[in-house]
Amino acid sequence: MHEGASLIHMMTVLVLQLAVIILVAKSFGFITTRYLKQSSVLGELIAGMVIGPFALGSIPLAFLGGVPLFSISIVTDLPVSPELYGFATVASIVLLFFSGLETDLKTFLRFAGTGSIVGLGGVIATFFLGAGSAVFFIPQVNSIMNPTALFMGIVATATSVGITARILSERRKLSSPEGVTILSAAVLDDVLGIVLLAVVVGLVRSSGGTDSDVDWGLIGRIALKAFGFWIGSTVIGIILAPRITKGLKGLKDMGTLSMITFGLALMLAGLSELAGLAMIIGAYVMGLALSGTDVAEDIRHQLDGLYNFIVPVFFCVMGMLVDFSVLPKVLVYGLVYTFLGILGKIVGCGIPALTMGFNARGAFRISAGMLPRGEVTLIMAGLGLSSGVLDPGLFGVAVMSMFISSLISPPTLVKAFKGGSGFKKSLVTKKSEDLRTISFDMPSISLADFVMTRLLAAFRQADFFPRRIGHGNLVYAVQKDAVQITLLRDGTTITANVPPDQEAFVRLLLTEEILSLKELFRSVEKVAGSDAMERDMLGGLF
Amino acid sequence: MNLKKVLTRDSVRIGLSGTSKNEIIKEMVGLIVKNGSGLDERSLLKAVLDREAQMSTGMKNGIAIPHGKTDDVSELHAVIAVSAEPVDFECLDKQPARIFVMTISPASHTGPHLQFLAEVSGLLTRDDLRKKILAATDEDELLNIFFQGQS
Repeated sequence: MHEGASLIHMMTVLVLQLAVIILVAKSFGFITTRYLKQSSVLGELIAGMVIGPFALGSIPLAFLGGVPLFSISIVTDLPVSPELYGFATVASIVLLFFSGLETDLKTFLRFAGTGSIVGLGGVIATFFLGAGSAVFFIPQVNSIMNPTALFMGIVATATSVGITARILSERRKLSSPEGVTILSAAVLDDVLGIVLLAVVVGLVRSSGGTDSDVDWGLIGRIALKAFGFWIGSTVIGIILAPRITKGLKGLKDMGTLSMITFGLALMLAGLSELAGLAMIIGAYVMGLALSGTDVAEDIRHQLDGLYNFIVPVFFCVMGMLVDFSVLPKVLVYGLVYTFLGILGKIVGCGIPALTMGFNARGAFRISAGMLPRGEVTLIMAGLGLSSGVLDPGLFGVAVMSMFISSLISPPTLVKAFKGGSGFKKSLVTKKSEDLRTISFDMPSISLADFVMTRLLAAFRQADFFPRRIGHGNLVYAVQKDAVQITLLRDGTTITANVPPDQEAFVRLLLTEEILSLKELFRSVEKVAGSDAMERDMLGGLF
Repeated sequence: MNLKKVLTRDSVRIGLSGTSKNEIIKEMVGLIVKNGSGLDERSLLKAVLDREAQMSTGMKNGIAIPHGKTDDVSELHAVIAVSAEPVDFECLDKQPARIFVMTISPASHTGPHLQFLAEVSGLLTRDDLRKKILAATDEDELLNIFFQGQS
């Protein structure tokens, strides 16, 4: 075939693939959120499985000259073409950039106490259970220092707190002591997972993926390098980010500013790959550095379109990578691995929680909140598959654990949060979890949205750090020191959930804000009162 | 918020002589100007009266919290005062007021102002403290009621 024609053919196939992916993934995502009340991620993942090269995608199509739309690439051994995998790679950078942006490091550092110990416990327990299970179940793996075992360990650690945040906010439990602990534990979980990934990727590369003798000196050097790169670029990023965004604000164009920051994220992602770490680490660090700046929320808003386009492609491609033919062979291991992942979170997060004043009920609530898995699990597993450390069977195991955990965690969480206090009896009076709810209605959604933005600004002026929780939720955790307030908009209703000792403060803040809004509306009425403006606008049209 | 960081003997006053809302506000703004340095009395007064025009700050139980926001101040200024006679302050419960808490804060940084008001409101909801405040015979006593109430 002529080379030009072949390139055009490749691109045609790619465009058709993207079309099918987006249409099917979006429909499946819609069905899972609307009718099954599950995360859209699951729908997109199933979409990938259905249309992928191991199912419908393998059907030869006459209009493509008798070849299937999704075929297994001969170049990479992966079930998807390198072009399509490229989109998934960029998507993983977008995801981790967002994940970093959503972290509020300042708040986390001030508020770390219980949360970080809970997060740390969960990471350690799941890592060792995950890695240990690989040694036990996979014949070629003889030590937990084997790259495959290490990967199965880190895949088991990742928590995706978005689902938890959505459920708790719907039930007005996000500002409960358990909710606050889950949120700050999840931050540590993210950071630790990323650092662990950096170390493991470094180790795998230097050992060439073989099960060689453990060289602790080498491990130490790699760990130091990985951690050094992470902490170094994070610190530099946090120092530079406000200056960069301040300079960029001179452009007076949030769209350009946001894209430039995303360009920097891609740059740091590439550099971290060159430094022997994984790309997503650089992306996460860039997001983290920007998370403390005042434009973090705007950047997310501006990049929403990109996110909505590329992230479903990612989950769909991950679904395509699942080879059903090997699943029966790994089914038992998959179930054990899933169970151990859940056990690891329950024990690892529960025991520290028990020592920090929670009773068994409270500890179980916190553990249940740490159960959902999502994008990070898939990104890590995809990385393992593409680098050859995980075989298709083990990738299937990782997807299976992500799937089952995400399915069982919402009902578990809802059940766990029923009943009385999660605190030990002696502490109930000290830390009352009885939250006050202040809510008010707006006449329309767009007005409620506007008021919400104003309230967040008012909280910022009062030294609070509002942080949107999860993608697509209209829920904000507004934090300052040990105080957390939840602000959410549901339809036209705005609700604040407030600890009792902050009620006076929040009521005063809301009153002042409503007064200044009224002032604003009065000035709007002046504009609305006369029709001079629209008459000018119509000019000499008629 | 620790009230000791905001309140001094100079920022509390008993026996305000004003008999109307405007007189009380002027007296208290005057105190803030005297305690601070380089403050523009007219601009502070305007900030408080502008806020008062939006909605009266007369609360219940004889308490009013006139306050204003202006970038002519760089930090929170506060005074707490008791008037000699009850004054009509257009309160929510239609009763006259005797206990007044005034704050003036930078427009762009309202955290301390709201915290201070929240803290003081917590104390003023207590019947026993309100009685003590009204019975206070000098400024030291008044100041101590707030400090002790908080601890």
